[in-house]
Amino acid sequence: MRSVIAEDPDWSLALVPSLTTLSLQHIIKHFEENPILDELMPNYKAYVLQRLPASLPLTVSANLISDESYWKRCCEARWRLCDVSTYGNSWKRMFFERHLENIIELFIPDATDTKTVLDLVPLCRNYIKRLNVSQLLPPIKEPPSFDEDDRSDCASDMGSEGPSIDHFDFRILLDKLPNLEELNVAYGVKGCGMNFEWNLFEFTFRDCESLAKALNSCKTLQVFRIHRSKVDDEKCCMLVSQLLDHPSLQELDFSHNHINDHGARAIGKLLNRSRLKRLVVCNNQIRASGAQALAHALARNATLISLNLRLNRIGDEGGQALAQALIKNKTLVDLHLGGNNMSEPTAVALSQALVENWTLKSLNLSNNRLGVDGGKLLEEGMSHNSSVLECDIRLTDVGQDSEYCIAQALRANQLQAARKNQSQL
Amino acid sequence: MHQPELFAGDEADEPGPSVESTNQEERITARRIRIAARNEAKTRQLLGEDSQGKEDIKEETRKSQKEVEQRERHMAKLKSDGLEMVTNIQVAADARESDRRKEQEEACRLRREILENEAKSSQEKFEEITRKWTDAKMKQTPLDLRDALNNQQQLCEQITADKNKLISELQQELKASDDRYVKDLKRQVNDIDLLTERMEEQVSSLKKSYREDLQLIENSFDEERRTLLTKNRKKWEHQMKERSEKELRNMMKGLNLLEEYEDLLQKLRVQTAEEYNIDKISLDTEVQDLRKKVQQVKFDCHVKEEKLHYNFEVLKKREEENTILKSQMKRKIIRMQDVLNNLKSKCGNQEKQSKAENQSLSNDYARIKQQYRDMQKKARHFAALDAEHFEKLWLICEDEVKALAHRALETDRIIHEQQLGLPWVSPLVPFMERSGPIKQQTIRTATQTAADILQDDTRGHLLEESEGLENTGGGVNRRTVKRILELLCDEMGFLVESKLLKLLSHLEKNEQSLIKLDAIFSAIGIESEVDAYKMAEFFMNYTQHGGEQREHMEEEETTSEQGESVEELSDLIHPNDLLLALKDFTGQYCRPYDVQASQKSSVLGLEMRDDSEDEAYWESIANVMPESKLKLWSALDTALNKYHTALTERAELLVETQDVQQQNTELRQLLQLYTSSKASAETETQTTRMRQFPM
Repeated sequence: MRSVIAEDPDWSLALVPSLTTLSLQHIIKHFEENPILDELMPNYKAYVLQRLPASLPLTVSANLISDESYWKRCCEARWRLCDVSTYGNSWKRMFFERHLENIIELFIPDATDTKTVLDLVPLCRNYIKRLNVSQLLPPIKEPPSFDEDDRSDCASDMGSEGPSIDHFDFRILLDKLPNLEELNVAYGVKGCGMNFEWNLFEFTFRDCESLAKALNSCKTLQVFRIHRSKVDDEKCCMLVSQLLDHPSLQELDFSHNHINDHGARAIGKLLNRSRLKRLVVCNNQIRASGAQALAHALARNATLISLNLRLNRIGDEGGQALAQALIKNKTLVDLHLGGNNMSEPTAVALSQALVENWTLKSLNLSNNRLGVDGGKLLEEGMSHNSSVLECDIRLTDVGQDSEYCIAQALRANQLQAARKNQSQL
Repeated sequence: MHQPELFAGDEADEPGPSVESTNQEERITARRIRIAARNEAKTRQLLGEDSQGKEDIKEETRKSQKEVEQRERHMAKLKSDGLEMVTNIQVAADARESDRRKEQEEACRLRREILENEAKSSQEKFEEITRKWTDAKMKQTPLDLRDALNNQQQLCEQITADKNKLISELQQELKASDDRYVKDLKRQVNDIDLLTERMEEQVSSLKKSYREDLQLIENSFDEERRTLLTKNRKKWEHQMKERSEKELRNMMKGLNLLEEYEDLLQKLRVQTAEEYNIDKISLDTEVQDLRKKVQQVKFDCHVKEEKLHYNFEVLKKREEENTILKSQMKRKIIRMQDVLNNLKSKCGNQEKQSKAENQSLSNDYARIKQQYRDMQKKARHFAALDAEHFEKLWLICEDEVKALAHRALETDRIIHEQQLGLPWVSPLVPFMERSGPIKQQTIRTATQTAADILQDDTRGHLLEESEGLENTGGGVNRRTVKRILELLCDEMGFLVESKLLKLLSHLEKNEQSLIKLDAIFSAIGIESEVDAYKMAEFFMNYTQHGGEQREHMEEEETTSEQGESVEELSDLIHPNDLLLALKDFTGQYCRPYDVQASQKSSVLGLEMRDDSEDEAYWESIANVMPESKLKLWSALDTALNKYHTALTERAELLVETQDVQQQNTELRQLLQLYTSSKASAETETQTTRMRQFPM
């Protein structure tokens, strides 16, 4: 025991760090060279985990540390906004997913070594369930290719350029992630500002081929979204042909693309050769024949729950075909037909479908000029239906009377559903 | 063209689903609260609180529940309104977009038409030019050529002007669409701003209303809680008061008790102290006494110790002696043990020998027994043979004797008739009728006698004689015997076997009694007639004797009765006395065993003949002729002998005469022979001889 220095009132034995803390601090200091964690006693382990620096190389920490608080510190050190609830409340998953997304988003073909991605794979393969790739950079252009840019302005968006504008190849990655369930891709550049160039937003045929093959190799994938990527009929057909008979795919999202009737036909084929539950093709260029193909598939389908055809041009013919398919279909719950240039004939068919269909719960018909007569027809259909809980008829030029009546019918249905819910509880 | 991207952004920020989810959560929490309240109510019910409180609680819960439900509905409405307000922007944007598309389509169509028209017209013009080129080639004069060329140039310029015009138009359109794009962008930015504004507004208003609702719900719960609290507090205070009163009462009671107990304790203490003093004094005296005693005992002890010491010494010496003796004894024991072992072995040998001997002897015995049996058989055989021989011999002899006797009688008769000339009377000869050896007269068995007696009536007078005889022999009247036997039959039933009785039940009375008697006799041991009669006699004596006794006993009784009883008893033994009498009888007359055994042996086959009468028999036969006759016969004999002699002499003389006669005849024959030639002579001789003989 040391003697107490009387003059120093603050001195106490507690100020002297104990040997255990010293050694633990040593372990923390040299964790990178000599990671000792699982051999420690639980309370020391917690101590070490609390004090480990977030800057540890992933090769050391990835498979060794499973403590959430450490990964939380890592995440918070790296990103300002962290919403762990969207990552299944797992900080580690969040860290790795966002890390990998960052690397992919900053990957420049030909310039960046594929090793940077592949090295990470063995570390993070067990933790990644979702990849949300919001941008893919094109390869850096050589100065002479600038001349071509002018031409490409005039040229159509068919990627007739050389191989130089292919993006990141997903084939090297997707088959190595055994837990991947969701993939969101956008072939484009975020925040390009005044550096805008058309070929920043190219989705080449080779890109499409490699992506389709990668999708086919990833058998655990449940959700696939590709937004704003100029997917036209040909590319859509290619993607769909690789997704046919996929064992686990449940949701497919082709929003904001250039899919036309051919692509819609291919998607219709896919509908009955997969287990799709949700299909989103909003903001495409599907017309009447494509909608008819989709309706034909829908009439025979027994898995699809939600179908979104917002902002297409299916017109009255497509609307009537879909309404007739609704009579036969017994699974579809949610149907969005907003902004599809439909009018009164569709309202007739729909009111008929509403009388006979008992599964549809949500129907969106906004931005279609159904007119007053159409509204009345719809009102009549609604009065015979007891399953639809939501029906959006904004900006459809429906008379106020019909609107009110439809709202009443919806409220009655909602009340009934709520009562049923309660009785089930 | 870039609108879609912005739309995507709009969609991502859409607050709808999150609101929905919170709504659900709130619902769930509300339900949970309700369930908890119900459970609480139930538990309270179980605890058995007063009905009023229960109802209050129910009402309270209802109030809060109602409040919650109302709030819920309010919030749902707010949310749906907010959602509509926010989505309105999107719908409007969609509407604009679809309008734009329509316009664009229309514009596109128009543009295509214009382009096509232009292409057509330019094609026509181009063809015209090409046509004119050929015309120009035909031109010979340079002037014409120049005109033509100028013309061509004009035409070309026209085409290029058209094209340029189109280009400029298109460029204007492009510019317009660019402007529009910029405008759209601005509008969309505005839209987004509006959207965010509205969303924020929505969020803040929702927050506010949530807070308000929460406040209201909390207030209702608070109120509920407060009322409950006051109620419970009242109850609590009331119960506390009760409790404190009770405690006070208990304390008072306790204090009283304490005082009582203290008094009691004091008393007890004093009492025990006194007792203690008394005890102490007495114990002190006792202690002194005991000390004295102890000293005395110590003295005694000392004396005794010395004594014991002395005794100990003596005992020690004795022990030494004992040890010596013991060793001697041990030695002796060992010796004796040896002897014992020897004797044991000898005994074993002896035993073996005796066993062997026993074995051989038993074998001998078996053999001898066998021999004996054989001998017996032989003996029986020989006895039978002997008997046969004897009988044969007897018969032969008898026949001889009888013949002799007969001859004798015959001679006697002849003598009487011929010699004496007297009439002959045959003497009595009983034996002549019988033949064979004299049979032993068999002993009549008791049963036979009994049967005879019982069959009395049937046999009738035939047995009268024998009765008389037996009366004289047994001294007992036959009738009394019969009665006694009947009595025996009746009284001694226990001697007969029960089985036999059953079998007899269907027989005649006489036969029954007969068989019973047989059984009884065999049980008592009576076998012969004599025994039976003896018994009867004994009984008679006994009855008389008993009767006398009884007479003595019943002297005081009336005399007339006495006499009668005597008479009766003389006739009949009293049934009660019968058993006693029988006992005495068996005690006196029981035959020794060996007699029976000898009888048995005779029964076995070696029947002894009684030859006592044989002599008499033979004598009687020998004495067929009485003495007088014999005398007569001797006199006769002598006389006849004389006669015989005379006769014999005469016979001799006759023979001589005969001889002489024969000689005479012979001589006569010779004479005759001599006489007739010589024969005459012989005949003469013979005649002479003959003459001699007939004389």
